[in-house]
Amino acid sequence: MIEKRIEELTQQIVQRFEKSGYKINAKEVLKRLKLLMLEFKVPENEAVRTTVNYLVKELEIPRESLAVESEFVRISDITKPNQWVSLKVKVVQLWDSNSPNISQVGLIGDETGIIKFVIWAKAGKKEVEEGKSYIFKNVVTDSFGGRMQVNVNRNSEIVEIEEDVSLPPREIEVVGALISIQQNSGLIRRCKICNRAMTKGLCPIHGKMDGYDDLRVKGVIDDGENVYEIILNEENIKNLTGIGLKEAKNIAEEFLDRTAVLTELKKRLLGRYFKLIGNKGERYLIVKNIEFLKVGLKEEVEELIKSLEVQA
Amino acid sequence: MTIRKREVARRIFAHEFNNSTYKIQDEGEKSPVYVLTPLGLKCNRIFIVGALLEKEEAKPDSGIWRIRVSDPTGVFMGFVGRYQPEAFESLLEIEPPELVAITAKVRIFEGSRIMVFIRPESISTVTSDVRDYWVVETAKATIERIKRMKEGNEDAKLAKQIYSTDLEEYKNVVKQALLTIMEGFIEKAEETEIVDEEEEIEEEIEELEDIDEFEFEEEEWDLSELLED
Ligand SMILES: [Zn+2]
Repeated sequence: MIEKRIEELTQQIVQRFEKSGYKINAKEVLKRLKLLMLEFKVPENEAVRTTVNYLVKELEIPRESLAVESEFVRISDITKPNQWVSLKVKVVQLWDSNSPNISQVGLIGDETGIIKFVIWAKAGKKEVEEGKSYIFKNVVTDSFGGRMQVNVNRNSEIVEIEEDVSLPPREIEVVGALISIQQNSGLIRRCKICNRAMTKGLCPIHGKMDGYDDLRVKGVIDDGENVYEIILNEENIKNLTGIGLKEAKNIAEEFLDRTAVLTELKKRLLGRYFKLIGNKGERYLIVKNIEFLKVGLKEEVEELIKSLEVQA
Repeated sequence: MTIRKREVARRIFAHEFNNSTYKIQDEGEKSPVYVLTPLGLKCNRIFIVGALLEKEEAKPDSGIWRIRVSDPTGVFMGFVGRYQPEAFESLLEIEPPELVAITAKVRIFEGSRIMVFIRPESISTVTSDVRDYWVVETAKATIERIKRMKEGNEDAKLAKQIYSTDLEEYKNVVKQALLTIMEGFIEKAEETEIVDEEEEIEEEIEELEDIDEFEFEEEEWDLSELLED
């Protein structure tokens, strides 16, 4: 059995070098693999890696010119930058990119997690589509802004697959206190072109621009064990406080101050407990439904007191 | 480049907090300060709900206000200065006594005696149902810590070593806290309840005033330095 597997691996290695334009001696590869796997009991992927490394050095092949076949990993295993890996994923989301160096950017995921990906324009890859599943072969892990991502370069390969890769359960329910509301909350202005929030009439992308009013709360829900960054939209805010866009504009006019809206929202929301359901994105919990927490505590308190008496 | 993860706001009663004397800080000036409590909780930020009993300027024209916030087990002492504009502005508008929710960083003063206090990041007024939920939530978190003290993870072992923690004491405190909440559920005669509460608070204030001057003098010179980080 294992000897047959070693022959298979030998073929794969030979083909890989051939693909990159290098002819290598199959007998030599077979001999090395047998030594490593049969005699030294090295695991398969280590044996392959070691053999490939040996050949690359021996033939003085520039590393990047070889179509390296990286190990398949799960997204949750990606913790270090500069690792060559292969992934089986679904494209979760494509983002707009304004950089000419980037062909596509967005999120991919498997059962274990979601990660940002960047396809460099120089990689010359066919575009991927949201909701479709792919093998991302030979991509490089990277760390950007404290978060992991994967980069698709010229040596990478993207192959569409029939299989529908499933994503981690993303909808979660949280009960916690709203312990912080950020300053860029309340009555804000958004850019007419890209909808980004503007500061002092400036869009971070388009500069001085025409804007329109919107209402939002960026905040932190904390349950004592975990922290969730959330964004509430106008609808969420109106359901909780009765203050919608129209009411917010009235408050701003009355006080001749747009920040009066934020002050009012803080008074009504900060330090309260909420129950919410939302989708866990890369950074934010996107709120689908949120309400003030209302629970009867009497029975729970009685039980807790009883449990303390039993322990004592 | 790495971004430090936001610190979770832990739930802790004043009794456990005020008994804490042990600081944990990794190498490097900018590493966060943690306080290790007698029940093995390593905390840097806490969320509390209680009665703001007093606010007063720590020293005339210093711009630093001292506050006292009581939960059913004791009183948190805190300082609010202009360095925390959000908390500062809210505090100016609140007249004690008033129920408040506070998110705060924990600080430890290591002078002639060691004491902990809080440095609020945000303060808001809340209703008694928020307080009730907080007491229950904090009771559960505390019971969980008591359990872990018996199993003994690293922090629990260290806490046991430093404080020789008497777990029965903490169980009793939790029980008492829950009982005060329970009274509120049972006593439907709201008027008498309010009167009782007010009397209690007044008594507490009087009690605190005695030790007040003493503490104030002791830390006066060091206060601004403490708050300027
Ligand atoms: Zn724009």
